[in-house]
Amino acid sequence: MSATVRATLHSISEVQAAIAAGESLFLAGSREALSQLPRGKWVGGSICYFMADEGGLMSEDRIFVTRVPEFALGAEAVDYGPENLAQLYLDAPANGFTFVVMPAATEVLKTFAERAPEFEGFLMRPVVGWVAGVRADLIGKDSPVVVNGQTGAIFEDRCVALHVSLPDNKMADLDIVNIFESHGGDVIRFEKAGFDVTGCMINGRPANLADFLSAREVRTEFPLVGDYNGSSINVSFQKVDEVAHKVEFYAPVFPGVNYRLAKPVVDYERAFAREIAASDQEPAFACNCILNYLYGGLEGKKTGHITGPITFGEIAHQLLNQTMVRLYLRDVG
Amino acid sequence: MLPAVDHPVWVRLVTGKKPVQSGKATFNMLIHSNQMSYERDQSPENVKDLITKSHSFLTKYESLFTNEIAKIFE
Repeated sequence: MSATVRATLHSISEVQAAIAAGESLFLAGSREALSQLPRGKWVGGSICYFMADEGGLMSEDRIFVTRVPEFALGAEAVDYGPENLAQLYLDAPANGFTFVVMPAATEVLKTFAERAPEFEGFLMRPVVGWVAGVRADLIGKDSPVVVNGQTGAIFEDRCVALHVSLPDNKMADLDIVNIFESHGGDVIRFEKAGFDVTGCMINGRPANLADFLSAREVRTEFPLVGDYNGSSINVSFQKVDEVAHKVEFYAPVFPGVNYRLAKPVVDYERAFAREIAASDQEPAFACNCILNYLYGGLEGKKTGHITGPITFGEIAHQLLNQTMVRLYLRDVG
Repeated sequence: MLPAVDHPVWVRLVTGKKPVQSGKATFNMLIHSNQMSYERDQSPENVKDLITKSHSFLTKYESLFTNEIAKIFE
């Protein structure tokens, strides 16, 4: 089976054949493309942007395929809503990982983004995946979907997961590639978790974030960078409403985290190539952010040798923005 | 093999008195998560719970975080 499909873009007919052959797959493609697939051992979500072997591109008639490796002991597809999302980690195998895909701008994504760190099993059970979206010109007009290929169910308001069990000599290892780093200036902190904020503390003083960004003429295509014990975790700006004095983000900010504005990045392609150069192994899966694709002008350009869907949010344990996520399956023992 | 949960370094680790940073985001998320939890709840029960979780995590992923574990117990 391994010769049938490798982790890259494939035609719909190639994916139909792989499903018919019994492969377990994690898929990314347009709603129209996914709707043409038969039932089988797969889950997927809608997206039509990809980092392909030939560079960044948009396609609505090809599907990015990630195969569950042959050495996996099993793969089970399950869907979750906000009401049972905490079960995501408890259902995950003791040794293995979980692929997950969530539709953008939904309650289930909001619940995951704000509460995943509180769930039993967070970090212990690796969860990796992405946020489904639509073509950029259809944002707000069309809805992202996720699909449980085992049942044929298509969801606009639930997420789907593929829980993959690994043998004892393999271990899942999640990694992030962040081309942004803190500017090192003003420290911004928030009182509560949320996707939109008005008030905040800047350098220990109460402030309105929208006013602060406007006064500084901050370029909001670059994210806020949160300091997680030395790791930079991005939160991307969605909208700065100068009338309502409110800022909306694509992921929640959290209390207790020091945020700073990111240093501008000029050449995204080169920045990714530099960060990825030190990689020691091919990832089993990777994805990157639509904002990097759009702001960085990555159409037709490469991010090192890494391929994968270009998504509306990335998941490595928790929701991330403007980040490349990689899953490695390491040999142990 | 990791030192048992009653080793004094575990308390220092989960209460932030033994700062250890890594180049790996997963490890840093663990330490950050401990710090956030400890800020919210400094009770002995929560400290014990954080130690149990950290010990379990590093036992499971010992092979991925050998450098970090060495730093914790140096």
